Amino acid sequence: MDNNKYWSSSEQLYEADSYKEQAQRELQNETPIFDYVESATNVENTGRRDFLKVLGFSVSAAAVATSCKIPVKKAVPYVFDNTKSIPEMVPGVADYYASTFYDGSDYANILVKTRENRPIKLEGNTKAPYTQGGTSAKLQSSILGLYDTNRLNNPIAKGGKNISWQKVDSDISTELSKIAAAGGKIAIVSNSSASLLMSKAIETFKAKYPTAIHVAYDPISAYAVRKANSVTLGNAIIPTYHYDKAKVIVGFNCDFLGTWLNPTENARKYAAGRVPTKENPSMSRHHQFQSHLTLTGMNADYKYPIRPSEEKATLAALYNAVAGGAVATAKTSVQKEVEKVAKELLAAKGASLVVSGTNDVDIQLLVNAINATLGNYGSVIDTSVAQNIKTGNDEALAALAQDIKSKAVKAIILVDANPVYDTPFAEIFKKGIAEAQLSVSLNDRADESSSEAQFICPDNHWLESWDILEPKTGLISFRQPAINKLFDTRQAAESLMVWAGQPLSAYDFVKENSVGVRAGVTPTEGNTSWETALQLGFIQTTMPSFTGTANAGASVAAVSNSGTAASGLEVVLYESVNIGDGRYANNPYLQEMPDMITKTAWDNYVSVSHKFATDKGMHIMDSAKEINLANVTIDGKTYTLPILIAYGQQADTVAIALGYGRTKCGAAGDNVGRNLYPAVKSVNGISTYNAKDVKIEITGKKEKLAIIQTYHTLMEDNNLPGRPKRYRSAIVKETNLASYKKDEKSGNHDRDEIRDHLTTLYPVHEKQGHHWSMTIDLNACIGCGACTASCNVENNIPVIGRNEVYKSREMHWIRIDRYFNGNPDNPNTTFQPMLCQHCDNAPCENVCPVNATNHSTEGVNQMAYNRCIGTKYCANNCPFKVRKFNWYDYQGNDGFGAWNDHDKATYMINDLTRMVLNPDVTVRSRGVIEKCSFCTQRIQAAKLEAKKDGRPLEDGEIVTACQSACPTNAITFGDRNNTESQVHKTIFENGRDYVVYEEMHFMPNVHYLVKVRNRDEEPELYFIDKPGKA
Amino acid sequence: MSNFMNTSKSKCLLFAIFITLVTFKAYAYDVAPIDMANADHKAKVEEGQKLFKANCAACHKVDQKLTGPALKDVWTRWESQEKIVKWVQNSTALINSGDAYANKVFSDNGKVPMPPFAALSNDQVVSIIDYYIQAEQSGKLTPAAAPAAAASATEAAPTGLPWYIWVLIAVLAVAAIALYRLSNRLDNLVRDTQGSDMPKDGSIVKYFNKKAASIATIIIIAALGYFTARGAIDLGRSKDYTPEQPIKFSHKLHVGQNKIDCQFCHYGAEKSRHSVIPSATVCMNCHRYVSKGPKYGTREIAKIYKASGWDPDKAAFVNKPEPIKWVKIHNLPDHVYFNHSQHVKVGGIDCKTCHGKVEEYEDMKQFAPLSMGWCINCHRQTEVKFKDNNYYSIFEKYHDELKNGKRDKVTVENIGGTECQKCHY
Repeated sequence: MDNNKYWSSSEQLYEADSYKEQAQRELQNETPIFDYVESATNVENTGRRDFLKVLGFSVSAAAVATSCKIPVKKAVPYVFDNTKSIPEMVPGVADYYASTFYDGSDYANILVKTRENRPIKLEGNTKAPYTQGGTSAKLQSSILGLYDTNRLNNPIAKGGKNISWQKVDSDISTELSKIAAAGGKIAIVSNSSASLLMSKAIETFKAKYPTAIHVAYDPISAYAVRKANSVTLGNAIIPTYHYDKAKVIVGFNCDFLGTWLNPTENARKYAAGRVPTKENPSMSRHHQFQSHLTLTGMNADYKYPIRPSEEKATLAALYNAVAGGAVATAKTSVQKEVEKVAKELLAAKGASLVVSGTNDVDIQLLVNAINATLGNYGSVIDTSVAQNIKTGNDEALAALAQDIKSKAVKAIILVDANPVYDTPFAEIFKKGIAEAQLSVSLNDRADESSSEAQFICPDNHWLESWDILEPKTGLISFRQPAINKLFDTRQAAESLMVWAGQPLSAYDFVKENSVGVRAGVTPTEGNTSWETALQLGFIQTTMPSFTGTANAGASVAAVSNSGTAASGLEVVLYESVNIGDGRYANNPYLQEMPDMITKTAWDNYVSVSHKFATDKGMHIMDSAKEINLANVTIDGKTYTLPILIAYGQQADTVAIALGYGRTKCGAAGDNVGRNLYPAVKSVNGISTYNAKDVKIEITGKKEKLAIIQTYHTLMEDNNLPGRPKRYRSAIVKETNLASYKKDEKSGNHDRDEIRDHLTTLYPVHEKQGHHWSMTIDLNACIGCGACTASCNVENNIPVIGRNEVYKSREMHWIRIDRYFNGNPDNPNTTFQPMLCQHCDNAPCENVCPVNATNHSTEGVNQMAYNRCIGTKYCANNCPFKVRKFNWYDYQGNDGFGAWNDHDKATYMINDLTRMVLNPDVTVRSRGVIEKCSFCTQRIQAAKLEAKKDGRPLEDGEIVTACQSACPTNAITFGDRNNTESQVHKTIFENGRDYVVYEEMHFMPNVHYLVKVRNRDEEPELYFIDKPGKA
Repeated sequence: MSNFMNTSKSKCLLFAIFITLVTFKAYAYDVAPIDMANADHKAKVEEGQKLFKANCAACHKVDQKLTGPALKDVWTRWESQEKIVKWVQNSTALINSGDAYANKVFSDNGKVPMPPFAALSNDQVVSIIDYYIQAEQSGKLTPAAAPAAAASATEAAPTGLPWYIWVLIAVLAVAAIALYRLSNRLDNLVRDTQGSDMPKDGSIVKYFNKKAASIATIIIIAALGYFTARGAIDLGRSKDYTPEQPIKFSHKLHVGQNKIDCQFCHYGAEKSRHSVIPSATVCMNCHRYVSKGPKYGTREIAKIYKASGWDPDKAAFVNKPEPIKWVKIHNLPDHVYFNHSQHVKVGGIDCKTCHGKVEEYEDMKQFAPLSMGWCINCHRQTEVKFKDNNYYSIFEKYHDELKNGKRDKVTVENIGGTECQKCHY
């Protein structure tokens, strides 16, 4: 095990000098005090007299500041409207409201946590039938969108002039009537929607103005899936995929855990089939054919790099191998692998799944044909429950663009859509909106499209709105406002109803349609009354289901061609897991989330394969994070981007994330990264996200990138100078399923050996009462980052900005470390959430000169911020690098100056955005260390409830923020002294349980479970330059 | 009312007789005078009093309209006692029967039906009326004329000497020393001129030699140092902070005299980290009916009406409410987490432990220093309810020790109550 090399960065892989030097230092950067003094005083040598002057001034300033009179604070009790019934609200006690998160590609039933009537956190609704309490990083961070200062406060007319709702309504209605009377087309352009209220509004609008049409599109489309299903199933639906019921999963460029068709639900189901236990040592096998690296691909057991242009031929070959057919196909480079996969698929007939994320009708038809041949419809693919996500129609969008170009469209109404930014027809839309007889935007801000429109009638935030959504057939999900409207906005559907001459309040609509929303359908859950349904957040009904059979023959017959092999570089334009299609660009939480492939924040980049980088001599990244810029030419247009290695990417493929480079989304997201939407092409009406014949030219210029993790040196490395040449156990441990079946402790044998030798000089403290512990299952963790996002919101973790992240000062209390091992051209990946390990023998505690960090009797490593004097000794001494130092007053809560990021005003230091802060957690100021507290506020709250009831605390009552957010249940928290608890059972009974650095005897309270890969062979050993040393 | 009771009894009696004379003539039906010397009458009146408080007082007052009309002289308005009884037992039935006066009462009071009190027997209703008659006879229900004046006379005398006295004393002391020295000099001068042998230096300085002076200096410096350090430690603390509040709310009156439970208003104390400063809505639970205070009359209570949007004339919430901006007295730093419910509900700590004898405070003040030392000290000394609360059953070792006598108590500190992250997070 100890000679199985893991690496997290290119410097580490090649043991570059810069890496060795870095590994000697404990913190990434020197304290920049001298730069600071120089810049502050602007003299070359600070003399004795200057020193005395500064000293004198600071002493007297401190004296004056501290002797100031204590400010008079006001206590203002709540004002209730006594004419209405008073809601029961006790200040200091959180209330939860059921609601629904939906963004076109992902949905989840959630609970909105409100304190003093303001939403501060979103939690998964554990009673929800499909998502079961799972969340995503986007969902967790989206709460900040409510307090976004870039939202419009009221309707405005072109030029930014404020206008009243009354005036805007009369202007628009008059103009619409004129256009309709003259027979001019009115186009309502929207993104995907599952809102029944919006459907009603659009229907009503169309009835009033017969020339109106509605076009829904998705910036990153899955229209090909619908189109292929209209052939295969005779119905243009997106079915529900049960990843948990599949024994073999084959993905083709499909990021179903990160971005594709409701990843939150997919992740939960996927993980359900991927965790082997002693009693049931089985798990699904996941093959991934991939051109570029995705979150899903990184979790696969077997990965096969293919060119994007090769995908169709590969699928055709797979179909031939599975069905014994003879679809004409070009040659594929992975023929052998395809045959192996086909064998496994045939062995798991009816319990396998093939999916592709490519928006190509032929590809989707082949996928359908394979699934139909294997009999997966009805067992793994549920066509009776259609998913109302990605409802966009690419062909309708293309047709609309033609209509706009030919000036047939006289009025354009944008509903939650930004076509000037995120369609292949950006220029047409820009000109069309600017020149239309009437153009209205119902977006919430003056974005790229809205700013061209004559009127912007801002929509509410969804946390301020009433709505009924049907994200899945038969699942009626509610939205209810968790806060009164912050601004003078109006729900988009209400606006449409007003213009249609039938004003309707969203509340009335929801109330009238809540129970029995579908006539003749009996709710199976959450039925009966309006109140109980609303409280649960959804009604689950059984719906008259679609009963067609999947027709493999028709699917294959409809395939137009089997693809042609290409040469030269190809590009894949993909959806970023964090920023999505660009709608989250102004969310600083998400911008600061490192992407899981290269650990880069605040930017997009062009990722290249390891082979490409080696050929160009760029295989060792500069440890100073100054990254080469490359000119990428796609279809004659050139984009300049930093170039980074994605280990496992196909050699002749480059990949670039969409969703960046927005120009009018708001202060945090403007001009972050480059916009690649202009490279998206509409081919025969279908939006296409890859291109051939791409040129890359390295410019020689460099750019500083905000990259996280690669500077850490957690992993064992005996080749470093100054490191003792002795045994070190691995930080991540892994085994394969076959070995695990034979031996529960497979891959974890050294643990017993180590523990036999462990001893300590320190007295052992008994833990009476509670002993908090956490276990993290590396098999369940897919590296999505929902935990990091949830922790950020729960614990008031500041956003520090690109410049500070570049300086390696990111503040996340829990980060997802990702390690590669094996062949750098196609390595295996392991994700490891890394947070304070709460060591019972903590190295940080011994070195604190002021005892600001110490241990509690409950096993928690405590951090008293007000005692901390900022020596950073603890951070130096922490082997896990989880202690974060506040270099500046990132939250701007005192008057002594905020930090110097150029765009600081965009983050969380204004009164509106601060409303998201959790009042139960201290906001840290400059000069103190902070770190994971095991969500002590939640521990204390749960203990208090138990004490109030006079009963022992039960297992599962305390749910930490990371645990509650996890879509795959990878994290478990509890009291290990409670023998009934899950953590007790895992720690003391599970053979996969281990701790990091066991041999150092830190006795961490965070335990990990060995990762089991469903591979036939042992983990691959691969060495770059020292194979002899194995 | 109690203030009125305190005034001279003879006045009271005269007034009552006057009222009786005036009112007796107006009876619409015969009401027999109540003789409290008669045991039967007395028992009846007492029963009526109880029933009135239990059933009627929430909506009816003597001379003021609340939800229901003022009850003064109610028997003068009805044609018979039976009708009143019927009305009380089921007002809607009486209204529906077409009774003219019942319908008038109904429409005069905003068409809010009086809830039926079918459980009250005829005799019980009569006893309530008897109680009223008796009370009016004795004058107890007549509106108090001069309570405000009475209360203001009893305003507390200042306890300490005012500051200007101290200044005067200081000035006089300085003057005395100066005069003493002057007289000494004059004495010396006299002796000089007379050629006396008396010592020349008669000033106080002569009593100080160098040793004594240095000892005194050291003592002064030490004392200064001590007080500076004490002062520095107390910087930012504000024990006995008694700011002026926007409303002259008296805890002494509400808690001390009226015996209102703390948690009637501070309803969060058992549920939340905050004990909660009540909103004006909570005040209005009582002040809808109590519109005059003993000390400031209607002036201060009018502020609550303004804050809650209540119009006393219309007896309804019609105006836009405005919050009362109280001055916050107990200011814990932001990095301290304190939870009232932990201490009140779980710990069973009396409010007075930290807030002092609130029932004696005319103006609310900060009783405890709220310093960390003060918190920790209490955590060290206070016993947890170890045996009563089943939550603590997990501390098996302590339970064993308690059983076999090795330990006599378990304090908050013993179960980790002095660790940093119990209050700082």
